[in-house]
Amino acid sequence: MRWLALLLSGAWLVEPALAVFADDAFQIDHHVPLLGLPQSHTTFFHQPYAKSKASLLYTLSDKAVLGAINPRDGAIVWRQALAGPANSSNIFLRAGDGQDVVVSGVNNNIAAWAASDGRLIWSRNLGNALVHDLEIIELPDAKGNGDVLILYNDGHPVVQRLDGGSGNVKWEYIDKTGDNAFQVSTSSAHVYLISFHKAIMSGLKIRVTSLDQLTGRETDAQSLSSESDVTSPEQILYVGANSASPLIAWTDKANKALKVNILGTKTIVNLPINNSDEDDSPAITLHAPHRSTALTHFLVHYQSARSHWADVYHVNLAKSTISKAYSLPKLAGQGAFSCSTVDANVFFTRVTESEMILVSSASHGVLGRWPLAKTQSPLLPLRVTAEVAALSSSSYPTRAAVLSSNGEWTLLRNGDVSWTRPEYLTGVITATFVDLPEEQGLVHELELEGHQNALAAYVHRLTRHVNDLKALPSWLQSLPKTFMGSKSGIADSPQKDKFGFRKYIILALEDGRIAALDTTNPTSVLWSKRVLKLGPGERWSAPPELRASSRKPGIVEVWDKAAGRPIELEVETGIEAELPDSPVLGEHQGFTFELADNTIHAFSPSGHSNGAVSSSTWKFMVRTGDRIVGVAARPVNDPVASIGKVLGDRRVLYKYLDPNIALVSSVNDATGSLTVHLLDTVSGTTLHSVSYLGVDTTRTIASTVAENWFAYSFTLDDSASGSSRGHQIVISEMYESPVPNDRGPLGDASNYSSLGIDGGSQPVVPHVISQTFHIPEEIQYMTVTRTRQGITSRELLVTLADSHGIVAIPRQLLDARRPVGRDPTADEVAEGLVRYHPTLEFDPKWYLNHQREVLGVKEAITSPSNLESTSLVFAYGLDIFGTRVAPSFTFDVLGKGFNKLQMLATVAALGVGVIVVAPLVRRKQINQRWQISS
Amino acid sequence: MLKLFTLLSVLPVSLAALITVSIPNTPLVNPSSLPASTHATLDEHGVKLDAPITRANTFVFHNVSSGSYLLSVFCKDYAFENLRIDVTGEEERIEAWQTFRGNEWDNKGESRAGVVPGQVEVRPVVAKDYYQQRSGFSVLSFLKSPMILMALFSLVMIVGMPKLLENMDPEARAEFDEMQKTTGLGAASNPASAMQNFDLAGWMAGATSGSGSNTPAQQPEERGGKGGQRRRG
Repeated sequence: MRWLALLLSGAWLVEPALAVFADDAFQIDHHVPLLGLPQSHTTFFHQPYAKSKASLLYTLSDKAVLGAINPRDGAIVWRQALAGPANSSNIFLRAGDGQDVVVSGVNNNIAAWAASDGRLIWSRNLGNALVHDLEIIELPDAKGNGDVLILYNDGHPVVQRLDGGSGNVKWEYIDKTGDNAFQVSTSSAHVYLISFHKAIMSGLKIRVTSLDQLTGRETDAQSLSSESDVTSPEQILYVGANSASPLIAWTDKANKALKVNILGTKTIVNLPINNSDEDDSPAITLHAPHRSTALTHFLVHYQSARSHWADVYHVNLAKSTISKAYSLPKLAGQGAFSCSTVDANVFFTRVTESEMILVSSASHGVLGRWPLAKTQSPLLPLRVTAEVAALSSSSYPTRAAVLSSNGEWTLLRNGDVSWTRPEYLTGVITATFVDLPEEQGLVHELELEGHQNALAAYVHRLTRHVNDLKALPSWLQSLPKTFMGSKSGIADSPQKDKFGFRKYIILALEDGRIAALDTTNPTSVLWSKRVLKLGPGERWSAPPELRASSRKPGIVEVWDKAAGRPIELEVETGIEAELPDSPVLGEHQGFTFELADNTIHAFSPSGHSNGAVSSSTWKFMVRTGDRIVGVAARPVNDPVASIGKVLGDRRVLYKYLDPNIALVSSVNDATGSLTVHLLDTVSGTTLHSVSYLGVDTTRTIASTVAENWFAYSFTLDDSASGSSRGHQIVISEMYESPVPNDRGPLGDASNYSSLGIDGGSQPVVPHVISQTFHIPEEIQYMTVTRTRQGITSRELLVTLADSHGIVAIPRQLLDARRPVGRDPTADEVAEGLVRYHPTLEFDPKWYLNHQREVLGVKEAITSPSNLESTSLVFAYGLDIFGTRVAPSFTFDVLGKGFNKLQMLATVAALGVGVIVVAPLVRRKQINQRWQISS
Repeated sequence: MLKLFTLLSVLPVSLAALITVSIPNTPLVNPSSLPASTHATLDEHGVKLDAPITRANTFVFHNVSSGSYLLSVFCKDYAFENLRIDVTGEEERIEAWQTFRGNEWDNKGESRAGVVPGQVEVRPVVAKDYYQQRSGFSVLSFLKSPMILMALFSLVMIVGMPKLLENMDPEARAEFDEMQKTTGLGAASNPASAMQNFDLAGWMAGATSGSGSNTPAQQPEERGGKGGQRRRG
């Protein structure tokens, strides 16, 4: 073990550079930890342990991320990404009153988590069966653990009571009647299984089976005649649980009456739907307390397109009757309700677009009414989770977590906004960097001057300078402040950002919106705009392409494949720009490529207008049985400073630099092989191809191309005999010739053709050398740092799903020319090559996210800044993360390590020295002239 | 009766093995202090099982079918060793060893089977340090730099040598002058001028012809000086 430790630390010692400095951490990087959109049935306030005074806000989001949030500041206390993808109908989260456990159910996995720190207590896997419902029996056992009831369908509906402390099965009830399981519910004494069986004619009959809580034996079964109203399980509005009188509710066909049954009884109570005006069919939601000690009151919420209102009902348990207590008035716009309990009292919190109202279930008197502050975007509450603290009979401080329809999650504390979390940013599907319009503006002006005649250009420059003078007084005023605060290198206003660290990041969200962030503060969204009308649950069919407009600075073009024309938005405001003659897709573009049916079709600019596949210029097909898993092309803007690589003995290996190359990786599931093809995208010729056997084709294969090299990673398949296991990365470098100082068949020719030399059919193929390294974990996505001139050495950025991070691997180590099996020669040392080692450990210092945990990051984008040394990085997926990297250190800007005081002190000391020494020197010089040397 | 029934229903699930991987309390870290985001994966062909850390400092994998698995532990604060876990035979025997990245799969290290059968132990190796400290100003490193050493040496030569020569007694001085004349390096008698004539560029370029004669030339000067003093005493 010791030598393993030595090995690990040894590998890390090779390159001490390229780490995040302790004083830069949390300063230059920004991270928005997110959860996803909270669901109404999986969000609640709960005390993390029994005697806790403060409660945490727990949620299981649509992205299957379970998290606890501190309601005070909105910070995440802990979170766990559960195995998704989840569909909102089978995710569950419950917590028993006064218990330190939250129980989640996602797909086939039930898990109990420690409420205070998020550690797993137990988990249970259902195999192929999906969990249908999950409840907690409130009565805890001696250790304070409430048992868990689960319902799943394993051929038959199965109800299980799991021990709260261990997850072991206490009893099990299998419903062999052939009914479809729907939900499970509990009261203080019984467990109810709600299932459907098909009625003889049509529709579904609700069947409620009562089970004994202690033994799981069937005690009673009721069939409710619902077949005339209910045809699908979605029509059931509500099934209560953990209440003294759990309810089931649905509406009749005409949407005129609400039908409510108290579980365990036979009577169905008809409640008239209070639909006073022309609203045809309002959406109905029920809110009832989830606590057996609470009063048996419930609220029916009606939401129509224009207004919302509610009725409150009381259940009389003894008589099994339901009576209407009062109505809440109709208010315009969207509204949402939440039910909360304090001891036995039940409170309803109503959040509308303009106010927050608290009422008690007992009477219609308003206990609290707080107007909401006017914000830029109106709050359209979708879901509310509220917590009421009854301090006295007159004071009811209330806080409510409100999910608004734009995806923001806000905590209202007596009507005041405590915090807002941009949970909709979990849905980023693509992103791009766009320069500030000011910066582009100067470039534009300079270009303008370059194209004018000398006099006009001079006049133009003079007027520009006079205009710039206007900013002088404010600049002078801000000078001391700039001088004092120049540590971070980031300016507050775009005008002062000389380093180009400030850019806009334009995001496309899966719900059809475009949003913008600022790289210097990506925690707040500048604007968001809906560009595509999508219904709930609908997603963008293919990610749109975002591109900075080449025609006008400060404009971003959103190219949606289906639209054919781009939507042009101003990056600062998100307003649709009015530009004359928008370009049409395919116009003024080069080749376009389409990937369909494991074939790549290339269309010349003229060919694409036909749209037909047959008009493609070339097509590339992989072998039969292969499927394409990745295509990576060299970035359009990929400057390379040096065309050769200088060796230790001053000879040069010339790089193969072809702007039109793409890397296509394909796998064959049957043979477990990976083939990597390097294509010339003009001619479609394969320049290089390599195959690997024994690859696990079910895993992610990431690849990237830049400069004269490409890299890809894969997971080894164990079934291949012998050898090693784990994950590997391959680095390949392309040179014009294997011999130094030789430029290959092209020589010094200034022109070349992708089609071949001198009209011949043979293309110029690169000399490719590769090396493979074992890496500790699977890589999700790869990209490369980019700088303005391409002088700075590069880093390969890889995103890691398992260690929740983004790692920058320096190219010095990921070099295909590392000497194998011997120490480097003096020349190789001069070149910076180190001896090849089969493993490449990810040094913690390479983690751009350092201590932060960037959950679920899928892709990363990079952009050059104005400083040659620095590249901007932005990663998205679930969390949002942005930072900047300097692969060769910040050689062009003074870092924080530069001590200004020390420099001033040195200058002062030198000055003093000069003043002191000057008379001595003068005297010596005079003496020298007058004294005759012996 | 009900118990038997329960057992029967559990059986099909437990056909595959249950692996419990525990983190022992080591001097490096108390496992209870590990963050809740710590998790472990078991990798085999097409299978990737993931288990978060439990309150008991274990990772529990359900339904593990027979095979040879690679266990990796991912933790924010510590790096862990990799293990090979084999689940074999009808009775689902579980064996575990250390494994080393980049080595053959059959190259196994120490056994990591836990005390309880079916339990496996995985140990942290080293704490992760994410940050680089800036190399601040230190007098020692400043003095150690070759440029400063060179400057200090020449300063000593320029200031010290004339003083040394002045302090010599006339007899030794005459002898010293004589010696300098015989070596024929009158031009280099002044160490300062010798330093000024020193062909730094040539010396750095590794040229031996011109500069080679400079360095030994200074040695007799020093030796002569010291010798003179010794004789006087």
